[in-house]
Amino acid sequence: MSNLDINLNDYKIISTLGQCFEGKAIVSLAKHVPTNTMVAVKKFIMDMIKDNALVDFEIILMRQLLHPNILPYFTSFVNGPNVYVVSPLMAYGSCQDLLNQHFNEGLCEQAIVIILRDLLDALNYIHKKGYIHRAIRASHVLVSSTGKACLTGFRYACPIVCNGKWQKTIHSFPSSTKANLNWLSPELLEQNLLGYNEKSDIYSVGMVICELANGSEPFAGMSSTLMLTEKVRGCTPQLLDYTTVPRDINGDCSGGDGDISLKIINRRFSDNIHEMAAQCLNREPFYRPSAEQLLKHSLFKTIKNSLPLTDLLKPAIPLSDRVAFNKEDIENLDTFNYFANLQINTCEWDF
Amino acid sequence: MSETMFNTNSSVESALPASPETELVNRIFSVESDEQLKPINAAENAEIWLADGHGVDQLDGLDDDLDTVNINNFFHRVDSDQIIYQTKKKQLKLIGKYVMGDLLGEGSYGKVKEMLDSETLCRRAVKIFKERKLRRIPNGEQNVRKEISLLKTLRHKNVIRLIDELRVPEKQKLYLVLEFCVGSLQVMLESAPGKKLPARQAHGYFTQLLNGLEYLHGARVIHKDIKPGNLLLTLEEVLKISDFGVAETFDLFAKDDTCYVGQGSPAFQPPEIANGAESFPGFKVDIWSSGVTLYNIMTGQYPFEGDNIYRLFENIGKGEFTIPEQIQDPLRDLLIGMLRKDPMERFSLQQVKQHTWLNRKPPPSDYTVPIPALKNDKWHNMTVLPYLYSHYYEDLGATYDKDGNLTEESEYFTERELNAAAEQLKQLTEQTNGNGPSNQSSSNSSTKRGRRKKRPLTCIAVQKFSFCKQS
Repeated sequence: MSNLDINLNDYKIISTLGQCFEGKAIVSLAKHVPTNTMVAVKKFIMDMIKDNALVDFEIILMRQLLHPNILPYFTSFVNGPNVYVVSPLMAYGSCQDLLNQHFNEGLCEQAIVIILRDLLDALNYIHKKGYIHRAIRASHVLVSSTGKACLTGFRYACPIVCNGKWQKTIHSFPSSTKANLNWLSPELLEQNLLGYNEKSDIYSVGMVICELANGSEPFAGMSSTLMLTEKVRGCTPQLLDYTTVPRDINGDCSGGDGDISLKIINRRFSDNIHEMAAQCLNREPFYRPSAEQLLKHSLFKTIKNSLPLTDLLKPAIPLSDRVAFNKEDIENLDTFNYFANLQINTCEWDF
Repeated sequence: MSETMFNTNSSVESALPASPETELVNRIFSVESDEQLKPINAAENAEIWLADGHGVDQLDGLDDDLDTVNINNFFHRVDSDQIIYQTKKKQLKLIGKYVMGDLLGEGSYGKVKEMLDSETLCRRAVKIFKERKLRRIPNGEQNVRKEISLLKTLRHKNVIRLIDELRVPEKQKLYLVLEFCVGSLQVMLESAPGKKLPARQAHGYFTQLLNGLEYLHGARVIHKDIKPGNLLLTLEEVLKISDFGVAETFDLFAKDDTCYVGQGSPAFQPPEIANGAESFPGFKVDIWSSGVTLYNIMTGQYPFEGDNIYRLFENIGKGEFTIPEQIQDPLRDLLIGMLRKDPMERFSLQQVKQHTWLNRKPPPSDYTVPIPALKNDKWHNMTVLPYLYSHYYEDLGATYDKDGNLTEESEYFTERELNAAAEQLKQLTEQTNGNGPSNQSSSNSSTKRGRRKKRPLTCIAVQKFSFCKQS
């Protein structure tokens, strides 16, 4: 599998899965024709990307990482003005896709715990390798058809080691990080001489726990400057459930500007996960546990007895099944593409 | 004391050490600087000159022909306790997508302030040019235009980067948005014991300076004003060559690096310029001033000095200087090579880069000079934050300090109260100096929680509802 060709003609693009990098990269579902396997192909449109060092950096970094919970790159190649990166197909898509399509009010606790363990495993690995991810968010956590969560989005990462020395603090501010701002730690955003370290990622993990539990991105709909001051003052989101949704005297949930659904009001997350989110979101990086410490938390002991993630994610179905279900669709798509190409040709007649 | 009110300005500010008291006193006087305090209710006449805004315009005009006017007419005697000060509200100011912060420094052309990009939340510095002021400086507008077009083409880790350029015609101002830096080498030197840096640290900065220079010379640019004051440091202590006001770019087809004009700072000028040579090789000018810079940061002294510019140029022109005893050989040889009187004999950039002193890192020293504090803030916190706090949270006259704590200060006070408060602050900082940074901030965060008061837009509101919205 790892020796896939670097010839674009061997890949048959089936459909578009999504965009990333502010629309400057397109992820497509593709079939590697010689081996008849489904893969994901990410196309970076280099003409649109000003900071091409980011793309270089990500590809070079990914080649140095090998961990079951980090999305590997099979191969990468240049074709025309575009850079293509081939990676295994993550059949459930990103956690953000799952939230948007099937779990608007958040995942169940057991699913969060399984995803969280995989995420922390990957983080523990890269922190020990000397990197800070700096873009931990649900959309950068993908779920495979077997229910394994994998971390991606490494182009925002930065090395902790500089000139052969392990830095105690990092000061660099990630470039083109606009989309990730809501997940970033207060100390990273403050950009003062105190700097930040790998604990900054742990804060983002806390944000992801809230995101997965509540079904929406942290600080959604807030201006970035207000988000900044809120974080600097130590305000953090919480897991919304029976215990945290505020009530008035009658025990009714007066939602103020938003109506909170009954499902959220009546559900109950365990104290363990509440505590873990709060620990991760501590304003003071020093008091946040490391990824390694978090992995020892008793919360993860429940995984042994729980259903597999694929069952917990129902009714979401993995992509390969969906594709198998609609084989006709693909054929239709092929003919559509054929006509689309034809249309381009006919355009030439249209003076 | 009120008679001096008019004359004192930024020059006083720079001469005095930045202790909290002098800081406050300066603010009272300096009409143009970025004051947080402004006197109100002073005697009628004085008020016109002291208030922000309108007074400034008139002052600007008066600067030129001050001699022809009887100065006494402008001053009205006011006792210090008659002036009542009011805390100036930190009014949020937006220039394009940037939120304005506090003053970082002042150059000959205008102020440098901090800004925050409200989209990316990246800290920036902004150089503000007033067209009115620019017109009065010989070649002012032309130099600025040159600087902008030059900065746009340059891109190197050790050269300051121009991020954005904004023009506000109604204010007659030009804003150059640059990478954020915490201070210059000059400021660092002034805070260092003996006004010099330990060898290891100086070596690190000098290597970066050479890397930047190599890039510039490769791009056919001569900086012509290399000096510690123009070498800025970022939060990561990356050195950035800045201020291209007098830089010169060669034509692509120029035969060699011959220059005809020298405009840099006198103490850093080479003998050929001091002697008034008609033309001279340009690259060697930067080598010389880098040599003077290295001499300066290693010894805390200047190789050439003089009571006035004529004496100074006379001494430079002779090209004779002494190196203190403690400077031993590889460095001594490098300094002599870089400060050779004849530009043809002077080291080239490659010779400097390959010199023994540069190729071997000096042993680690027992101390390094930290980046000095800005207005008592040794961590260089975002100065935009207080403006954002007052914009988002201020209500019922409650004010918040830079950590977001509620402060219950009276809105009006006299100078005596001001001095007392400053004294108190000084004692307080002396007491808390022993505490480590993590200690301090953790206690801060705990008091924060205790003292929170009702606000229109509270975190609680945020905690409740932001999740309910679907993104």
